Amino acid sequence: MVTTVTSLGRSGLSDWMIQRVSAWVMTSYLVFIIGYFFANPNLDYAQWAELNSSLPMRMFSLVTILSIAAHAWIGIWCVLTDYITVRLIGPKATAIRIIFQLGMIAVTSLYVVWAIDILWGI
Amino acid sequence: MILFFAVAIFLWMLESSLASEASFNQLAESLSNPVCQFIIWGSLAALAYHAIAGIRHLVMDFGFGEDSFESGRNSAWAAVVVAIVVIALITWWIL
Repeated sequence: MVTTVTSLGRSGLSDWMIQRVSAWVMTSYLVFIIGYFFANPNLDYAQWAELNSSLPMRMFSLVTILSIAAHAWIGIWCVLTDYITVRLIGPKATAIRIIFQLGMIAVTSLYVVWAIDILWGI
Repeated sequence: MILFFAVAIFLWMLESSLASEASFNQLAESLSNPVCQFIIWGSLAALAYHAIAGIRHLVMDFGFGEDSFESGRNSAWAAVVVAIVVIALITWWIL
């Protein structure tokens, strides 16, 4: 069964590395945003819009959504190649797995474009 | 899978919180709706569990807690316990 053609990094080692780097990016975004909400319990629109329209925050948010996209691609590829296999569900497995993989890539791409639209539309 | 679709929920919240002042206030209002609260609670709980289990892996990348089967087992359980505490805090924060 050919599986590496649908993996993000084309190699396990590369996927592993991307998974770790994206995990660190998302963790730091999470820590920052939780800290920000705690520091500003009565956050209003003006302050929130000002934060998110600043260039550093836009960059941080964009890198985070790109990390989410890569992380989800690798994570869902792992689940699909583990469970949607010919051995587990029969000869149609490869076709079913490719359909799921393409659907996931489509949705992930939409998330990235949507996020860019939100961030640069403020 | 829950997390993958939760991304859409978080993006929708980001969008309505940033589109305009009116939509910001509308979002704040809908956050007091129990159905909305439940969906967001589920998304945040899934995210918390995934993030904490993931941070365990990041800690292990630096060589901590991988000396034996026992230590791996212990840190896995510790991650579950920490996740339960954090989910309890999230519940308290939402309510």
